[in-house]
Amino acid sequence: MNTPRRRRPAARALALASMAAVLAAGAAGVAAAEPDITGVWGHAFPRPGVTPDPRLLPPPPGDPELTPAYAEDYRKLREAERASDRAGQPLANASTQCLPDGMPQMMFAIYPLEILQTKGQVTMIEEAYSQVRRVYLDKPQLAIDDVPPGYFGHSVGHWEGDVLVVDTVGVKEQVKGFKDLPHSDQMHIEERLQLLTPDILQDQVTIVDPKALVKPWSFTFAYQRVRNYEMLEYVCENNREYVDQNGVTQVRLGGK
Amino acid sequence: MDIKASARAAGSCAALCGALALLAASPALAHHSFAMFDHVNRITVAGTVTDFQWTNPHVFIEMDAPDASGGSKHYTVECASPNVLTRVGWKFNLIKRGDKISALINPLKNGQPGGMLETVTLADGRTFSDSNPPGGVFER
Repeated sequence: MNTPRRRRPAARALALASMAAVLAAGAAGVAAAEPDITGVWGHAFPRPGVTPDPRLLPPPPGDPELTPAYAEDYRKLREAERASDRAGQPLANASTQCLPDGMPQMMFAIYPLEILQTKGQVTMIEEAYSQVRRVYLDKPQLAIDDVPPGYFGHSVGHWEGDVLVVDTVGVKEQVKGFKDLPHSDQMHIEERLQLLTPDILQDQVTIVDPKALVKPWSFTFAYQRVRNYEMLEYVCENNREYVDQNGVTQVRLGGK
Repeated sequence: MDIKASARAAGSCAALCGALALLAASPALAHHSFAMFDHVNRITVAGTVTDFQWTNPHVFIEMDAPDASGGSKHYTVECASPNVLTRVGWKFNLIKRGDKISALINPLKNGQPGGMLETVTLADGRTFSDSNPPGGVFER
């Protein structure tokens, strides 16, 4: 009689257990030793009567020291921006054209930031502009000459104990940092992400750019875990702002 | 004035201070500079909604307001983003075409019929904030 070959119960239980373990590991995709930073993170916005944990309010970034090659143009730009604002005719910038923040401004996370840990990769999604960056774990960084310049650059990282250390290169020079700060093609963005509590995440950022900065510039972002939040889609479909012939932001009015 | 508009005292939105304080007055929260809007000489525009666009980077209310000659004038009202407005209680269908609303706005400095929303009052009397920093302070 031709019957299907059956495993003995003990062997079958062992096989099922092994399979479950493999599936569980695949679903989590994360080594047990790594801190759990998967989730949605956001700022501690001030609320009446609520005092946020001081660890959520790192000091604001100081002013970076630009090299002479960059300092004068930057000073003129900032002056022009302030003058145009005073005149009620703001100069256009990247956001006027619905362009994403890019790195490192993306990590300011004006809207929620979702972090996903999977095997060999940490993915960060910022709700505004649906920005995505991928941090490839335990891989060597590419030579800058081998990275096509982009908004988010090329990021590699590794865990040093409970700190996720990330290096990013290849951010387009047109992508401005804080306060429209310029940078060169040689910029490295070094980050150290660490859970201070299960619900407070800190990102210490250091900009290293020997062409544009006299010395590395460091600042810190901090986020609180946002539970039960589903990220909204963000498509910049209705941008009414446009740049006129003078480089000024104008608003396109709607009709009936 | 050829439009039904009136200045409103700064204290008129005092009841919404809690909502206004929900967001930090951070320049990074702004999609662009708001220097083209007059944050001092605010006006109230009352009329009928012709379109409500729940979109990024900004939500827009298109509305017709009666003018002094018996006709109407079209206004474009720029609001915050869906994310920000959701945080202060708005929904994608809070406002519908045909609704009668009253909008307190920061008008465009160039005199065109439009502005940035501060608060909107619906026909049922409920008022919603646009969640702007108090005083319209947006510094770069």
